Amino acid sequence: MSKSALQLFLITVILVLAQVIVFKNICLFGIAVPFAFIYSLLRLPVTLSREWLYTIGFALGLTVDIFTDTCGMNAFACTVSAALRRPVLRLYFPRDDELTDPYPCISSLGLVTYAKYALSMSLVYCALIFIIEAFSFFNILRLILEIAGSTILTTMFLIGIDSLTIRHREKRL
Amino acid sequence: MHNLLYFFIKARPWILFVIYLVASCILLFRNNPYQHSIYLTSANNISSAVYNTAAGITSYFNLRDINEDLQRRNSDLELEVLNLKARIQKYHEMDYAMSTPVDSSLSRYNFIIAHVINNSVHRTHNYITIEKGELDGIRPEMGVVDQNGVVGKVNVTGPHSARIISLLNNNLRLSCKVKGNDQVGSLVWNGDDYREAVLEEIPRHAEFTPGDTIVTSGYSTSFPEGVPVGVIVDELKGYDENFYALRVRLFTDFSTLSTVRVIVDNMSDELKEVERDIENMSKPN
Repeated sequence: MSKSALQLFLITVILVLAQVIVFKNICLFGIAVPFAFIYSLLRLPVTLSREWLYTIGFALGLTVDIFTDTCGMNAFACTVSAALRRPVLRLYFPRDDELTDPYPCISSLGLVTYAKYALSMSLVYCALIFIIEAFSFFNILRLILEIAGSTILTTMFLIGIDSLTIRHREKRL
Repeated sequence: MHNLLYFFIKARPWILFVIYLVASCILLFRNNPYQHSIYLTSANNISSAVYNTAAGITSYFNLRDINEDLQRRNSDLELEVLNLKARIQKYHEMDYAMSTPVDSSLSRYNFIIAHVINNSVHRTHNYITIEKGELDGIRPEMGVVDQNGVVGKVNVTGPHSARIISLLNNNLRLSCKVKGNDQVGSLVWNGDDYREAVLEEIPRHAEFTPGDTIVTSGYSTSFPEGVPVGVIVDELKGYDENFYALRVRLFTDFSTLSTVRVIVDNMSDELKEVERDIENMSKPN
């Protein structure tokens, strides 16, 4: 249990660093930005209390905000996403007590369910981020393209990262 | 009373959620970029250390482009040196008795060279972080240029790092003019393309042609007069009824920014004092 928690903590540190150094500079076709660090939010155990879930979400967002000079934007989106995580997970996996592993991942949910879960969470996150950004420059077509492009790219990153961490764990066992 | 206490214990997650939302909204809607505390920007100790390390690795990637720019700039300067030498020669020949007046304005500006450790071009409000700060003599409101043209203005300073508000940030308005005819307008980024900006408020009677150079006007203490900014591409139709708005292609390539110069104006304190005195005098007692 604590081994998984430690692993998740390390993944979070690596992902936040990767996000602020590398991923924030990726802007595919001028519209799609990958928000890979929300993987940690998706991976938090379902048994975690809601207080901790919101606190970790807010802290994660604020950390990225400080590095990228987007004061409050990611903190807001992360807190809302953290609150919507449980309802979204319930939508695709109604009985979370049947989960083999309290950490939602491909091996515990199955690829299709995990992909749907990742896609929904990415959509929520990207929609929030780009709608907040649209307060200063409003262009509806660009907004939709940015949300759609970033959601797809982020989902691909999330599934990719999850596959990588799973393979790593199997190798170690 | 007991029920109220019970309610607070039961609704604890929701109360926490609302507190976090309100906190992030406060951060989000505090509009003035100059009010941010140093700890909440990329110029704080931890993030500047992280970006410093990363920049140490990635600064090699753009060396080819930077080298080309420097070569070009160098050849320009060499040409100028040759021209000036020829002119000096001519003066010598003309008259030994006439002494040229010493231009005291030459010593007004100094440069501090700094490396960019964090930069973005596709956000709507872009900022740049550099690895020099207050201890190196950098203060808020100083102008920043690179070998090609204007980059931005210093915004928040820490002891060893500073955040620059980039030209690609619509919170920054830069007073500029068309080189040659001195029509002054205000340059602002429109958020679309990091290679272009808009020069607004050019009076209707102004004359210009696409290809004309835009330079700084020198109306602020941040930039001296005549620092190159960009060239006019064309007129932006339907932007403002009473003024011309021009699309300007920027000289500075913000996507490969690595070394910048911070302009130190030795006269800025003096000018500020004079302006303050005038303000005080004009106030009715």
